[in-house]
Amino acid sequence: MTVRDVERALRTALSRGGDWAELFWERHETLQLVLDDQRIEDAITGVDQGAGVRVVHGEQTVYANGNVTDVDDVMAIAGRAARSVADGTGLHEAARLTPDELPRPHSVAIDPRSVPVERKVALLRLANEVARAYDPRVTQATVSYAESVQEVVVANSDGVHRTDTRVRVNFAVQVVAKDGVALESGFEAVRGTLGFEMLTDEAVRGAGEQAARRAVLNVGAKPAPAGTYTVVLSSEAGGTLIHESVGHGLEADLNLKGLSVYSGRIGQKVASELITVVDDGRDPGQRGTAAMDDEGTPTQRTVLIEKGILKTYLSDRKHAEKLGIRRSGNARRESFRHLPICRMTNTMIAPGDSDPEEIVRSVKDGIFVKKMGGGQVDVVSGNFAFEVTECYRIRDGKLAEPLRGATLVGQGPKLMSEIDMVGTDLGYSTGTCGKDGQGAPVADAQPTLRIPSVVIGGKIE
Amino acid sequence: MTTRLSNDEVVDRALEALRAVRVGTAEVLVRDALSGSVETKEGALEVVTARGERGLGVRVLDGQRIGFAHTSDLALPGIEACVDQARRMATITDPDDDLRIASTPLEPVDLDIYEPGLEERPLADRGAIALAVEKAARSVDPRITHFRKTSYSDADVTTVIATTQGVRASYRESFCGAMTSAVATQDGERQIGYHGEGARRAAELDPETVGARAAQRALEKLGAKPFPTQKLPVVLDPWMATSLLGAISPLFSADNVLKGRSLFAGRVGERVANERVSIVDDARRRGGLRSAPFDGEGVATTTRILVERGMLRGYLVNLKTARKLDGAPMGNARRGSYASPSRIGPSNFYIDAGSDDPRALVRGLDRALAVTSLLNLHTIDPVSGEFSLGATGTYLERGAPLYPVQGITIAGNLTHLLSSISGVGIDLTFGASGIGSPTLVIAELSVGGT
Repeated sequence: MTVRDVERALRTALSRGGDWAELFWERHETLQLVLDDQRIEDAITGVDQGAGVRVVHGEQTVYANGNVTDVDDVMAIAGRAARSVADGTGLHEAARLTPDELPRPHSVAIDPRSVPVERKVALLRLANEVARAYDPRVTQATVSYAESVQEVVVANSDGVHRTDTRVRVNFAVQVVAKDGVALESGFEAVRGTLGFEMLTDEAVRGAGEQAARRAVLNVGAKPAPAGTYTVVLSSEAGGTLIHESVGHGLEADLNLKGLSVYSGRIGQKVASELITVVDDGRDPGQRGTAAMDDEGTPTQRTVLIEKGILKTYLSDRKHAEKLGIRRSGNARRESFRHLPICRMTNTMIAPGDSDPEEIVRSVKDGIFVKKMGGGQVDVVSGNFAFEVTECYRIRDGKLAEPLRGATLVGQGPKLMSEIDMVGTDLGYSTGTCGKDGQGAPVADAQPTLRIPSVVIGGKIE
Repeated sequence: MTTRLSNDEVVDRALEALRAVRVGTAEVLVRDALSGSVETKEGALEVVTARGERGLGVRVLDGQRIGFAHTSDLALPGIEACVDQARRMATITDPDDDLRIASTPLEPVDLDIYEPGLEERPLADRGAIALAVEKAARSVDPRITHFRKTSYSDADVTTVIATTQGVRASYRESFCGAMTSAVATQDGERQIGYHGEGARRAAELDPETVGARAAQRALEKLGAKPFPTQKLPVVLDPWMATSLLGAISPLFSADNVLKGRSLFAGRVGERVANERVSIVDDARRRGGLRSAPFDGEGVATTTRILVERGMLRGYLVNLKTARKLDGAPMGNARRGSYASPSRIGPSNFYIDAGSDDPRALVRGLDRALAVTSLLNLHTIDPVSGEFSLGATGTYLERGAPLYPVQGITIAGNLTHLLSSISGVGIDLTFGASGIGSPTLVIAELSVGGT
């Protein structure tokens, strides 16, 4: 589609009224290979091409979208958006587009589409072999490889015309271990917004081994207790905590509605002085990284909380304007099928001053969380829960027996004000965040943290 | 402008392209969906969305190897490229002698899943439904002050399937749904309550019920307190029960059974649940939200009792796993979109109604916790069956609500949960996901708190 075609689509979008219009065009190529039960079972490839046209008219937003094969299809979508506005008063002209190139946060060394499929299959088999050789209790392994190349064009009636290409790979291993009648699974993934260079033999072996180790550890572990405990979260545990307990509450859409526990609190103390929270959409190669967000705003590093003081929210165009804050480049959408919403990219708690080993030694009786899984938050009350996929009892400052089936629950601002030790280290984890029915690739990170008292959900013996 | 091919023409072109390159065994699926939705904010329409989605998926079986490709480019070169890619994918996978493409012709059946014209209704009508949801929630109690989101949506979806083995069929279905998350405020405390419902026909969707129930869900949590760690009976209303039941369905997948990933492996004919519990998967339920005449592989769907008064009777199967288990295909392959391959999964999946009045069940418990919301359902591991979830609830004595609680967890194992169901209500209710349950009483669960 040429720049002239895009201009024509925007003019069509505003032809029946409306203050502002935007075109989002996307072409998404994917390949997915799955090894399960010793066999390559799935080989799936496809192309999904589509466009979405948004017209903002006063307080109302109209969004028309659909799959497109050619320029005529795009024009039809623009026409459909225009017809839904259809009052024909106060017509606005779309500005002439001025295409510009944004600097890329990183370069992709190996386009995964250029790698022979035999190489990808060999990596699946390698991870499978490593996982199965780890322990006789390993009974099953599923290994998957996914590559995704998403090309996007964003243009709007202010004259913005920008493009981005997001190359992502995702290599995941799920292992089942069996002991008697008990089954447990273990998971590990290597993924990022990067090319095939991520998937070295070493990284693939590591994923197979970690997934197997976790399944075997859990099948032999005792159930976690239920109750209130002192918890140390390892930096290796990943950042689910910051994502759920704070991140979602700082999204501008919820704050404009006054619905978040952080609403109206910019400039106030919302966490312990030890806590600094940053969202960085340009962190090179991380899973949430892109050159621009899905409204064409360049991504950036945003300090959200600085030494406990709330600084700003994660914003898109509309909410930045309404809240009078800077656009932070956090408008993201799963695909052309959705309007962009405010959400995280790569979110972290910045490292502090405590020696991570000293943090563990400081706990007489508690729980050491080595790996977190998924989580969820109710942003209105601030109540959150997250899954623990690997944890140990701490006795007299030392790691003791492994425990399985734990969940941590709490309330975001309360927990953030109680954290009393922050380590000098930093560990990342990756995931897919869900909000309003849209998935977005994200990364989270944190140093080793001590929480003096938090509810652990386990079993009562 | 290129001529737009009809859905049937796309299928024909794909079959021709397969013949032209001498592919003997393949399946072609086209899905064409039009949908619209509205979102409201403070009594006015805020977002209006119109969506069109149309694409083709081709599955090729070549030398007992399967390959799958999909495209949204439905001009002839796009269709031909998709067929080529599916063939290429079939050279990558390992062979499996039990793989099959559907070959049994399908009989037409009317399941009452389509209402014409739903997608073409005027914007004002759609908006009125969403606004009525908000109004109904506000009218319940003045403490309902905000809404996280209120929306109404509908869709008109056509599915066409054809195989080189002589299967060709199509069906059209409609959906409409309304949901809201209402926020209740009292003395600086805020609690949210969600409720959503779905239907096949506009007249079956009641905006007042959606709004009122969401409001109740928010109000019942106001004044929530911490709760001491303990074991006690737990009451799940139909909506809470269906959200947990969804996590149980992977245990029935023959694929999981055969690959050693299900705790139900080798247990057909054994007791896996309390004798009060019968679990049904009914893909032919009239007007059901997950009803369809055929499944994602083009196999006729069925009605099945999976658990009969506590005894496991069978698994959910697709063509491949039916052969591996020496059974007949049951049409349990579900297809999320044209772009995704079929996976074994439930349709209208429910725990059958029991014989007890739910209020009488709860009155019979000296102490109990009625769950009012669950967090982290997506983290339940179907392999181990272990769950540990964030929750809110209402503490009850002899059926009387004493106070709401928050910041708690409930934990257990899905298989243990099924065997410890000690009460099943008469109030079978289907949720927006097509999963149904009556009120359930769990004899005892671990509740984590202070």
